[in-house]
Amino acid sequence: MTEAQSVESAAASQEPDLLLAEASPEALLDMYEERGWGDGLPLIPPTAERVDEMLAAGGEAAPDAVVATLAPRFGIATRRILAVNAVLAGCRPGTFPVLVTAIRALARPEVNLRGVNATTHPVAPLLIVHGVAVDACGFNAGLGTFGPGNRANAAVGRAVRLVLLHVAGARPGDGDASTQGQPSKYAYCIAENAAATPWDTYPRSLGIDAESAVTIHCGENPHNFHDMENDEAAPILDKAASVMATLGSNNAPVSSAEFFVVLGPEHAATIARKGWSRADVQSYLFERARLPAGMFRESFDVVQYRPWQKALLDDDLMPITDHPDNVRVLVAGGPGKHSCVIPSWGMTKSVTLPLEP
Amino acid sequence: MDSLRIYSPAGGIGTPSRSLAPSPEVLAGRRLAILDNGKPNAVLVMQRWADRLAERAGVEFVGVFQKGSAATPCEPELLAEIQARADLVLTGSAD
Repeated sequence: MTEAQSVESAAASQEPDLLLAEASPEALLDMYEERGWGDGLPLIPPTAERVDEMLAAGGEAAPDAVVATLAPRFGIATRRILAVNAVLAGCRPGTFPVLVTAIRALARPEVNLRGVNATTHPVAPLLIVHGVAVDACGFNAGLGTFGPGNRANAAVGRAVRLVLLHVAGARPGDGDASTQGQPSKYAYCIAENAAATPWDTYPRSLGIDAESAVTIHCGENPHNFHDMENDEAAPILDKAASVMATLGSNNAPVSSAEFFVVLGPEHAATIARKGWSRADVQSYLFERARLPAGMFRESFDVVQYRPWQKALLDDDLMPITDHPDNVRVLVAGGPGKHSCVIPSWGMTKSVTLPLEP
Repeated sequence: MDSLRIYSPAGGIGTPSRSLAPSPEVLAGRRLAILDNGKPNAVLVMQRWADRLAERAGVEFVGVFQKGSAATPCEPELLAEIQARADLVLTGSAD
């Protein structure tokens, strides 16, 4: 049997293969707990009817078609398995293509999913939904986009985590060595507020011209910053730079790591009103988010820096990231002068894919 | 209350499982290398092991090989070099 045949054989599962003796939420939760499954929260039973309805929303592709193989368990994520986890999480069928695209993105080699899942770092994949799918599928790009309260954001974010737990094998203490974890390991999904974006949408800024898209960025919980007072771009962004320039994130020893800077609409409007482009924001943060090179050297023996950074003298200010392009800027959220920075796990790169069922 | 038939969420495992290479019956004369992943103190611990194995079991220590990052797989060219120069490798991961 070839490896491809072996994969297909392992993937084939036509019928529901578990018997839940008592059709109650408590019984399902107990069953999952006994087997080391689930995320600790109540689940929707993945019956054949629910899974088939979820699959139908994802188009004509075969249920046993393999979407991805996910590390560290190298579990096979078929469309059916993804649909099972989407049902468990409480996803509406219309959001299924978002989950499928997100899993496809997570499996991209540049994400380094094996490292993301297995590390002692608290990293969680942030899923960002862009474009027509935001409103069409009921995602929240406005007030409270990071939570709580919106079913699509919560359920699809949760489905991603359930897939990582069940299929990728990233269970705490087993395939996931995260020392403390973080709340975003339960669900981490937002939507880009295109209406409030004064520049190109985030996918378009990357050259992706698709009606809808999905971004995956593997990083920490959001680090809030607020500015209630300034009507100029620089003072607002100086606060972002202050949040970025910390020795406590993996961006400090890994200079190629990205930052996602999620601007609230009011901050974005102020910055753009002063004539700043997205590229200006990136360049300014690259210039301002710096610490003395000697501080980095005192704090880290093991680093991944560019040669020019290693050549800096101790008193030279070294940028926390080695290129402005590593500063990824988009707009999400609602009224109120808050924004956030999402540092990276480090040895991972974000991926944006057009939405495909 | 009625029962329900439901799907399990985990699915199969794709990559065929790999079997461990057989342990050498005799260590004496075997070439031992360390693959250092750069984690703090990892090479210190492994070097002590290598010294003890040389002292007590007669392995020949051939050196430390440094991979690019603890968070990414060993580079294929480095792996090839280690395979050419060593029979046994000490490696691991820790913080």
